[in-house]
Amino acid sequence: MITAELQKSWAASLLEGAAGTAAAPWLEELRGQAGALIDCLPPVNRKQEAWRYTNVEPLLKESFQPVVQRPSGYGGEAPEAIGPHRLVFVDGWFMPELSDTALLPEGVTAGSLDEAIAAGDERVKNRLGSVADPGEHLFAALNTALINDGLFLHLPAGVKLESPVELFWLNSGGDAARLAQPRNLVILEPGAEAVLVEHHLPGAAERYLHNGVTEIVLDPGAKLDHYRIQDESEQAWHLSRIALDQGDGSRYHGITLAFGGRLARTEYHGLFTAEEAACTLRGLYTVGNDQLQDFHLDVRHDVPRCSSREQFKGLLHGKGRAVFDGRILVAQDAQKSDAELTNDNLLLTRNAEVDTKPQLEIYADDVKASHGTTVGQLEADQVFYLRARGIDERRALHMLCEGFAAEIIEHIHLESLREQALARLRQTLGEL
Amino acid sequence: MSTQRELDDLVKAGYEHGFVTQVESDTLPPGLNEDTIRFLSAKKKEPEWMLEYRLKAYRHWLTMEEPDWAHLKIEPIDYQAISYYSAPKKAADGPKSLDEVDPELIETYNKLGIPLEEQKALAGVAVDAVFDSVSVATTFREELAKAGVIFCSISEAVHQYPELVKRYLGSVVPHTDNFFACLNAAVFSDGTFVYVPEGVRCPMELSTYFRINEAKTGQFERTLIVADKGAYVSYLEGCTAPMRDENQLHAAVVELIALEDADIKYSTVQNWYPGDEQGRGGIYNFVTKRGDCRGDRSHISWTQVETGSAITWKYPSCILQGDDSVGEFYSVAVTRGHQQADTGTKMYHIGKNTRSTIVSKGISAAHGQNAYRGLVRMGAKAENGRNHTQCDSLLIGDKCGAHTFPYIEVRNPTAKVEHEATTSKISEDQLFYCRQRGLTEEDAVSLIVNGFCKEVFNELPMEFAVEARKLLNITLEGAVG
Repeated sequence: MITAELQKSWAASLLEGAAGTAAAPWLEELRGQAGALIDCLPPVNRKQEAWRYTNVEPLLKESFQPVVQRPSGYGGEAPEAIGPHRLVFVDGWFMPELSDTALLPEGVTAGSLDEAIAAGDERVKNRLGSVADPGEHLFAALNTALINDGLFLHLPAGVKLESPVELFWLNSGGDAARLAQPRNLVILEPGAEAVLVEHHLPGAAERYLHNGVTEIVLDPGAKLDHYRIQDESEQAWHLSRIALDQGDGSRYHGITLAFGGRLARTEYHGLFTAEEAACTLRGLYTVGNDQLQDFHLDVRHDVPRCSSREQFKGLLHGKGRAVFDGRILVAQDAQKSDAELTNDNLLLTRNAEVDTKPQLEIYADDVKASHGTTVGQLEADQVFYLRARGIDERRALHMLCEGFAAEIIEHIHLESLREQALARLRQTLGEL
Repeated sequence: MSTQRELDDLVKAGYEHGFVTQVESDTLPPGLNEDTIRFLSAKKKEPEWMLEYRLKAYRHWLTMEEPDWAHLKIEPIDYQAISYYSAPKKAADGPKSLDEVDPELIETYNKLGIPLEEQKALAGVAVDAVFDSVSVATTFREELAKAGVIFCSISEAVHQYPELVKRYLGSVVPHTDNFFACLNAAVFSDGTFVYVPEGVRCPMELSTYFRINEAKTGQFERTLIVADKGAYVSYLEGCTAPMRDENQLHAAVVELIALEDADIKYSTVQNWYPGDEQGRGGIYNFVTKRGDCRGDRSHISWTQVETGSAITWKYPSCILQGDDSVGEFYSVAVTRGHQQADTGTKMYHIGKNTRSTIVSKGISAAHGQNAYRGLVRMGAKAENGRNHTQCDSLLIGDKCGAHTFPYIEVRNPTAKVEHEATTSKISEDQLFYCRQRGLTEEDAVSLIVNGFCKEVFNELPMEFAVEARKLLNITLEGAVG
């Protein structure tokens, strides 16, 4: 079991590896506080409810090399984007030469967080670290203690982006396993609208750790569609935390499709700070042999009249494992809240395993809140129905799984991305 | 449904069972150490192996920490401030008939509405009444004995049926299980032992009334029920306690064992002192209840109506080991005032074709906090395991809370698990509809709440269902409006 000592020494080795990069005093303070926190945080082991089913001990036994400078170049090709706005990151660092941002409308900032900090951008200084709590756990603290680069996206009031902003997270290979740990800040001013697409890809590396934290601020009336396709390498560790701060009447529509990684954990932390805001979180995960997909949702209704929908579905095969832990909290004054949480899992093989925990914590009476969970295998009746129509068993299995997954994928509002996602799903199903 | 007048009378009566009987008690001074346990054991003239069992548990308990994972706010408990033994004074060999029982005790039961005499004649229910820690009267023993059913206090069983007790005690809830169960194993005062032999259908419903009486006396009941192959038994547990301004600890352990084709039905109505309107006093109720479906096709059903106690920490569980065994859990938990409940169940599916059903209804009013916490585990060998869970919460008032913490672990693809939960309040439409038909608001609420709980009440034996409905109405009195 992970002890406080193991956790401390693991973090210390990474912090040491990153030492010596000077930054603005306010950032130094932010990093320093988070670094100091690590020593006081409880170890991320079974004894903690949030880590009950997720064993990260093998991860803490690995050593990684933090990347403290922008990589000088990238050996491979930059992937193609579906629209004109492409931002490529290697080991967590923004790579301007691989990116296309020229066609972004005036006033829109999309690029390197590091550069924005260096340029003394007040918007970054004001909001960075204000949404994601570094005290959440070891990895959130570590990300904050090592803040260097990542995405900074800012839309001024009323600006509506027509094309999606597409991010590609790649990794450079090398002798030592690297730690990419981007810190992203997204600010949409009142009434702004954008679509953000993230692709998490191996790039040139096999073994690495991606430990990202994304802070998203939606001002009143802002709308963000946020699609994430996590397709890391089979040897990779992927941890990402998305923290939301939603203003009056804002809309967040988030979908994560998780295919890759040996251990991948996605955390959503949603917070409504003003009324009439809406948040939908959806996810699809597939796991096979030696894979663990882990989703943690924590959505807080602190104010009245907000709505949230959480829908997650998993396809498990081989010796795959999935963990789902969703919590909706409705505070005492948050009357008229509307929340719904569902998690469905299909076990396709003998040795797959799922641990799910959908929770409701309700302190207000005039609310609508429900949750539902199912775990099961494919219905024999359904397979029989298809077989009776001359479809072979394998094909029938694929069709039913695709139908199951489509309920998530169909919520992607970009057609070309939807097709990409389906193609990726079929690739996994093809291996069955 | 009760008429308004009856309801008013009941409410005015305050906590109906709040009185203290003046009986001379043989009470041990507060404190817990090995000597306390030796004294306790000697007092009960226990054999050496029993003392060893207690001491082993006590030594293990010293190494344990009090759990803090429940969704509860608990004032720290001083285990050294509790007296671990209190027995009503009695003649040297104990009473043989009701005439020999201390008249004051009889009076207490009369106040509680469970006169032994009447019960004997009326309901055909055998009562093993527990007054504080020692059983003072056991009825219908002979009739049960004819059927071969053993129904006695656990202290008696230790003497008379040591091989049965040795074989089954702690086999479902080992002393290492959890903090409170461990404490219970070390200091359990008394409780009930039931053994139904092979193929016997117990001729009557068995029942125990619990009563906490002596100030500063924790009660540590130990119940052990064994249904041998093909046997059936239905057991009722009802609880009341006198009003007192100090928290009283209750850490009971209930073990059920169902062998092949056996069927055990365990029903509880818990109405202990919940504390006053400001949340002072009240019983701390930390109970470990677990049933083991050891044999194929065995069946264990838990039904509980929890309206009392300041704090309820209770998870009646089923271990479904036998193939085709069935576990059920039906619960109504009501919290009002400053009551807190963290209750639910665990269903461990181990055998093939095991099925379980969970129906949990939580009602929160005033400042009450009500949490459902449940685990459904489908083991790797639980082929075709089935579980359906339904948890509904009803909120009355804007200061209360309703929480759901389900844990679902599935390691077998042929297993099917479904969980649904809803949280709602009594809708204006429903109220309006009832009011239109001439019901007062209070009657309307009581009607709606009873409807909400119907699925659970239907599982209770008849007399209990009536009592439960009455209790629910009284409990929610004044919570609305």
